[in-house]
Amino acid sequence: MREEQKTPAANIAEFFGVNRPTSRRGFLKLSAATAVAIYGANILAGSGAKAANGMYILENAKGVLVSDPTRCVGCRRCELACTEYNDGKASPTVSRIKVARNLNYGPQGVQFGFQRGEGKYGNFLVIQDMCKQCPHPVPCATACPNDAIEVKGPVNARVVNTEKCVGCKVCQRACPWDMMCFDEEIGKATKCTLCDGHPQCVEVCPTGSLRFVPWRDLTKENRTRQPGMLMFNDGCKGCH
Amino acid sequence: MATYGGWTGKTLRVNLTTGKITAEDTFKKYKDYLGGTGLAYKVLWDEVPIGTRAHDEANKIIFGVGPLAGTGAPCNSRTAVTTIWPCGYPDIYVATGHFGGHWAAELKYAGWDSVIIEGKAPHPVWLCIEDDKVEIRDARRLWGNGIYRTTAEINAEMGPEAQVAAIGQAGENLVANSAIITGYSHSGGGSVMGSKNLKAIGVRGTGSVKIAADKKEWKKLIQYALTLAGSNNQHVVPAEPQPWAEYYDPGSRWTGGIGVFWGAANPPLETGACDPHDMQSLGLRCQKGIKDFGREFGEKHTVRMGGCHACPIRCHAQMDYPPLEEKYGYSRYAANTCLGWSAGSSVFMSFSGPDRLIKQSEAKLLGKHLNDDYGIWDNYGLMEKMFQYAYEKGILKRILPEAEYKSIPWDLYESGDPAFLLDFYRRIAYREGVLGKGLGDPADKTIEEWGFAEDFFKKTKWKYWKMGHPYHHSTEDSAQIGALINMQYNRDSQNHSHTNLQNSGLPIEVVKRICAKVFGSPDAIDAKGKWTPMNKYKAKAAKWASIRKELHDSLSLCNWMYPWVTSPLKERNYEGDTALEAKYFSLATGIKMTEEELDLVAERIFNLHRCLTILEMNTRDMRNKHDIAPDWVFEDGGEPFTPGSNRLTREDIELAKDLFYQECGWTREGLPTRATLERLGLGYAADRLEKAGLLG
Ligand code: SF4
Ligand code: SF4
Ligand code: SF4
Repeated sequence: MREEQKTPAANIAEFFGVNRPTSRRGFLKLSAATAVAIYGANILAGSGAKAANGMYILENAKGVLVSDPTRCVGCRRCELACTEYNDGKASPTVSRIKVARNLNYGPQGVQFGFQRGEGKYGNFLVIQDMCKQCPHPVPCATACPNDAIEVKGPVNARVVNTEKCVGCKVCQRACPWDMMCFDEEIGKATKCTLCDGHPQCVEVCPTGSLRFVPWRDLTKENRTRQPGMLMFNDGCKGCH
Repeated sequence: MATYGGWTGKTLRVNLTTGKITAEDTFKKYKDYLGGTGLAYKVLWDEVPIGTRAHDEANKIIFGVGPLAGTGAPCNSRTAVTTIWPCGYPDIYVATGHFGGHWAAELKYAGWDSVIIEGKAPHPVWLCIEDDKVEIRDARRLWGNGIYRTTAEINAEMGPEAQVAAIGQAGENLVANSAIITGYSHSGGGSVMGSKNLKAIGVRGTGSVKIAADKKEWKKLIQYALTLAGSNNQHVVPAEPQPWAEYYDPGSRWTGGIGVFWGAANPPLETGACDPHDMQSLGLRCQKGIKDFGREFGEKHTVRMGGCHACPIRCHAQMDYPPLEEKYGYSRYAANTCLGWSAGSSVFMSFSGPDRLIKQSEAKLLGKHLNDDYGIWDNYGLMEKMFQYAYEKGILKRILPEAEYKSIPWDLYESGDPAFLLDFYRRIAYREGVLGKGLGDPADKTIEEWGFAEDFFKKTKWKYWKMGHPYHHSTEDSAQIGALINMQYNRDSQNHSHTNLQNSGLPIEVVKRICAKVFGSPDAIDAKGKWTPMNKYKAKAAKWASIRKELHDSLSLCNWMYPWVTSPLKERNYEGDTALEAKYFSLATGIKMTEEELDLVAERIFNLHRCLTILEMNTRDMRNKHDIAPDWVFEDGGEPFTPGSNRLTREDIELAKDLFYQECGWTREGLPTRATLERLGLGYAADRLEKAGLLG
């Protein structure tokens, strides 16, 4: 069950790939010490560019949230901070970090043999889901027919511009990780803004399970939750 | 409908006889009672005839949730389940059980403040609450299943995020000592659901709970509050010395520390120093596995801690123990806390042999599964004590039919083999034979039928307090304060306001200094085990502890954590903040209330419970008929008021009652006066008591 320790470098490499672990080996490696090392490594974002037809290739984000599910105790204080401190109300549905949906049975949901699965009714593992702040082509932003999902400084988070959002929910179907949220009370989509560089969820986590680290591409390594619906007319040629 | 934060404004009422589902205006009807137990007492007062028995169709069961449930106020998702309690004898008295988990918060997100269930369905049903869509659904296919399976089936129907509170076979079979369980959190009262043919309530909420105050102000309050939190039961010093800590106390539930692990986490996780200023180790400071299983076993098999919604403290030990599967066929993963564990092991008289600690731990783990699946509630440990007593005194041999006696695997029992529990709990869940029925029935009924002798009430070790219930943080914990609190209720007291303070772990001089500020004198509290005679400040503390319990049960805060009289912060001289509840309430709801004002509401709720109980008891002599302490309090142990002795004198307890009644504004008989009830806005209760000849 316990595996031998690897070098910090191997740990870092492995850790970056395992926000939503693809293998059990992956996330098992994280400890507080490696997370600090990652933070210090400061791998910074790439540059942005504008396509000929005027469509933006969104600049990479500068930071991203990662988690260590081993530490998560399922208190959902992150979900509460995300909505109470940003929206003035408690609402796990609106929360841009998702714990509740995996809490009981893990990402697989209810199934036969659930006692051997994940979550509270299984092996207790609680997986936190966070936005990957995807690189170009950003599925949610690309799908939005109103260009309402924009890059916003200082950390270049992909953010919903509520002035532009018409509440069509196309973005919700586009995100392969099901990380777009919808606030029915205002009729607008919402998503992780990285709290402008001060993630509230990270701040409140009572077990240090969440980290805000320099951005890197987590989209390749993470199990998706739904087939993302990418809205390209003609592959990349539609834009470029 | 007025709008406030905190509450959703709607209370759900479901009549299972007629199938009628209605939404009521919470504010119009219940605002003065907050929610939770306050709301429930009002419903019972107004709607359920005195003398109604627990399993009568006329009984109602109220899943009471309050304005703070679902918010970020720390430790808030407890549901107060109030009903005519099935474990009384006769079963005509009001009482409340409490389950934690995430159910209360989910109910709020679904847009409901509380749920009132009335009537009786014609066949087994379950209640499906999906936001404002509420349906009574057929549960015939679920009936007969345990809670684990039932929960999963309902989740399969409602989605994995739904929170389910269900009963097992015990509740279906009208076992009085049966539970309602969500997650692995318990409340009693399962058989009341069973009597109504209600198998479960599933809740899924996608809405929100509003915070009335500015979000920055709310954040500031929550951040401040969290700095004052201790570990489970607000123990504010660590169990072992830590670099930051001035004090430590081996009895503390602040068990996390340097070199202390969640050993079955992968990789094992060191809880670390848990400096109280480090908000990112708050959830690591309670390593409950160690408390519940001992250092070696507990540390080795703990995967992590779990617990309720919005609670950073985490009192549920989540354990991984593969032999559970191999030896007994139950899941290797088991989670619970305190009595949820000790139930199974305390069935046995003792464990012997070199592997006795293993056997004991296995009994805890296996017992947890059986209780949580069958939905058995062990009456806070009295069930096991009664079994032990009846066994030890040869009562079982005498009263069980020979065939039944022989069918019990006594060899397993005597050798301390946990497999005995497989047989034992099945008998209780299915009311099999004299043994199964007796242990599941109200304790006083069984005590009478089985012919327990007087000595059962004369020894602390049998745990019996009164009215078919055991003590719960009584004289052994807080002398007269514990005694007074244990007298108030119609079940074990379920009050922790006093024990949280008594066992904070701080040196007594520090606690006394803080108590002088809160209660007006350092004499409000004694050093544990060095009890002194009764005084009026202890009466003040006892009253305060009682009304705060009601406050927590009505707001939906966890009374296993609050109130926070002390804190772990040296720079605050270890003072906590007793106004936290009022601060949360004011900011969340937008109704500004001081600590004193909110305490007055709590006192109203406490007195409404008292008035209900008086009507149910139908006596003016509450002092001698209801507010009683068992003989062992006066007869078991060393000389009263000598170090180490928990024994008290009868005169001292009579004085305690006098002083307590004075503080409460009750007569010497223990009856609230009209002046008291009117002061609390309960003039209508005074009228009804007067009519019945029961007003003080
Ligand atoms: S597609 Fe999903 S994960 Fe990627 S940026 Fe959008 S919301 Fe985040
Ligand atoms: S970074 Fe901010 S917006 Fe994103 S999940 Fe955390 S709290 Fe929510
Ligand atoms: S706050 Fe931390 S421990 Fe709690 S649910 Fe969120 S990630 Fe898990």
